[in-house]
Amino acid sequence: MADEIVAPAAPHRDSGFQTRAFVVGVAGWILPGLGHALLKMWGRALAFFLTVGLLVLIGAGMRGNLFASSGNDAFDSLGYIADMGTGTFYFLARSLEKNGADVSHATGDYGTRFLATAGVLNLLAALHAYEVARGRKA
Amino acid sequence: MSGGFEFKLSHFQALLLFALVISIAFGFLSRRGPLDRVKYIVWSLFLFLLIGVGIGWAMYPFSR
Repeated sequence: MADEIVAPAAPHRDSGFQTRAFVVGVAGWILPGLGHALLKMWGRALAFFLTVGLLVLIGAGMRGNLFASSGNDAFDSLGYIADMGTGTFYFLARSLEKNGADVSHATGDYGTRFLATAGVLNLLAALHAYEVARGRKA
Repeated sequence: MSGGFEFKLSHFQALLLFALVISIAFGFLSRRGPLDRVKYIVWSLFLFLLIGVGIGWAMYPFSR
């Protein structure tokens, strides 16, 4: 006789709950750390704001390449998506790079990586905030 | 310096800053308690530097 396996009941998720989680995720993307701040996770909120902000400042200071939406190939498009991951900090980086990017030296090339990493890291943080808001993560 | 916000970092300074910032972010993302976070950050930073410098040395014979 086979043991009866009872699947755990799925937690109740109403549309308001889902909308709130979505808002938290988008807020975290627009301003790094805001998603966690809305969830009152102050330590993580501050950590993501500072780390993403620092990566953007260093990347822009090193004159890394900030990709534009009018990219010519797939790499440009991927770079743009990564850079846009920083949300509003993308425009901060653009305003800081008054002299434009300079990737003729290793410093500028590293700056490009710093900027892209900042974006991907912020997307990861926003996704984490979204998952927490949905009750899937602690 | 030409009036804008810019600076230059050496390879090692860039590696150190990158490793430190990413380690802190990952520590806060993946651990909850302060002690756990500090342990994770220190361990992650150590591995970043070890692997970074190790890869640098591994590439040295091909650098010229």
